[in-house]
Amino acid sequence: MSVPLFDVNAMIGRLPNEPAGGPVDTLRASLGRTGVHEAIVSHVRAWKHDIALGNRLLLTELAGHSGLYPCWVAAPDTCGEFGGADRFAAAALDAGIVAVRVFPDDHGYRLTGPDLTDVLDAVAEASFPLLVDADQASWDDIEAVAHEHPRLRLVVCTVGYRTMRRISGVLARTGNVMIDLSYLGTHLAVEWLVERFGPERLLFGTGTPRRDPADAVTRLMWSELDDETVAAIGSGNLRSLIATPGGQRL
Amino acid sequence: MTDPLTGPLLGRRPLTNAVVIDAHAHLGSYARFFIPSPDSDAMVRVMDRCGVQQAVLSSHLAIAQDSQDGNELTARATERHPGRLLGYIVANPHQDPQGELDRWAGHPAMVGIKLHPDLHEYPLTGPGYAPVWDHAARTGMPVLTHTWAGSSYNDLEQVREVATGNPGVRILAGHAGALRSGYPAMIDMALQCGNVYLEVCGTYLTRHWLEQMVRTLGPERVLYGSDFPFIDLRYSIGRVVFARLSLAERLSVLGGAMSKLLGQRRLDQEVVP
Repeated sequence: MSVPLFDVNAMIGRLPNEPAGGPVDTLRASLGRTGVHEAIVSHVRAWKHDIALGNRLLLTELAGHSGLYPCWVAAPDTCGEFGGADRFAAAALDAGIVAVRVFPDDHGYRLTGPDLTDVLDAVAEASFPLLVDADQASWDDIEAVAHEHPRLRLVVCTVGYRTMRRISGVLARTGNVMIDLSYLGTHLAVEWLVERFGPERLLFGTGTPRRDPADAVTRLMWSELDDETVAAIGSGNLRSLIATPGGQRL
Repeated sequence: MTDPLTGPLLGRRPLTNAVVIDAHAHLGSYARFFIPSPDSDAMVRVMDRCGVQQAVLSSHLAIAQDSQDGNELTARATERHPGRLLGYIVANPHQDPQGELDRWAGHPAMVGIKLHPDLHEYPLTGPGYAPVWDHAARTGMPVLTHTWAGSSYNDLEQVREVATGNPGVRILAGHAGALRSGYPAMIDMALQCGNVYLEVCGTYLTRHWLEQMVRTLGPERVLYGSDFPFIDLRYSIGRVVFARLSLAERLSVLGGAMSKLLGQRRLDQEVVP
């Protein structure tokens, strides 16, 4: 059986702390080698150097590359960098963005509280899922935002193998939080989470280039889940997540 | 032509054409985080799902709290799954290491020794490990030690010191230093110490570093391990299966090298289907 794999967590651009990452062709080669042919992609430049510049570069570099869908990085507009939350969301819609990503810890703000709230409202209004790495905000903040913005769909990425007690509590108390599997290396966790919460709360992701896509691909392909469930986690759930209320975004 | 390793994986079928030995496994609960079904039956079920023939394990109990009770647990698991699960004797310098080595010396499935200096807060180079080096030199048992770049207990310099001081002992550097910052130095150290083998489980290692290890040291000095059920078995096996290495190199890392290391000890335990 060939399972289509759609990666919720990929980036282009070089990493400063190891010889990994690079232009689109590097990402394509890395993902393609492991059978992944679609991905939601942000730019390392927007994470590590300049948010607006990285977002612009992302569009330029992904242009013409089918199967790779852009994800902009957002931050509070408290310093007037982005022209306001509504303008940011409108520009993202015009640009064909499919998701928005935030790095609260690295970019010096909190996920909760008044600074980001208009961005979160605008992201929810535009039906963009919001991606946030587990090391960028506390689970308490993630849960609080999920409750305060019930229309927002939160995807927690790069969730480590020691977090099952936190994940399970947050998934049980929320309905709009999903988990990216790129880093969830807990023994038999995928099967356990599916049994307890259903497959719709889980998304396949690789974390490329920070992580080896082979890890997550192998984990899902050799899971004890049936083919239908693997297909949902592998691509179907993400396709539904990024669909607009009026139809498919892609 | 379909690759004989990636083809089955992407088709969701277990490997049937490779000897796969997991050189670094554990068993049972671990208090710091929840692990679903960490028992030996579930472990063997996961091995069957992927096509892993054997795993060499030390129980979490043995490394995390009580080596005497924990080694007992390890031995019972090997007896419950003969030929599939092999055991490491955990030697804790605070808990009569000589006694534990003597106790399990005659058990046919206890094929190696496991050290965890970080958890035991005792340096790998300390005199409390002297019985380990003596036992390993006499019996030929491989010694798997936890390693962590920058640790004051089991950094690469401590591995270098014990490897140099015990040239007749095969030392498996668990996690190969574990951190990105440690991989290059660990590879250099293993290049200088021919009795050090790099074991590749851990959450930071990628294909890039695996390929560097194999190209620098040769595929017989790099060993597949998973750390399961501490971490799911399927996380680190994939990076070997998909690595840009020849089939022969990948087969060596997956199990060929460990098979040679264990030698007759493994063959005595092998279950012929």
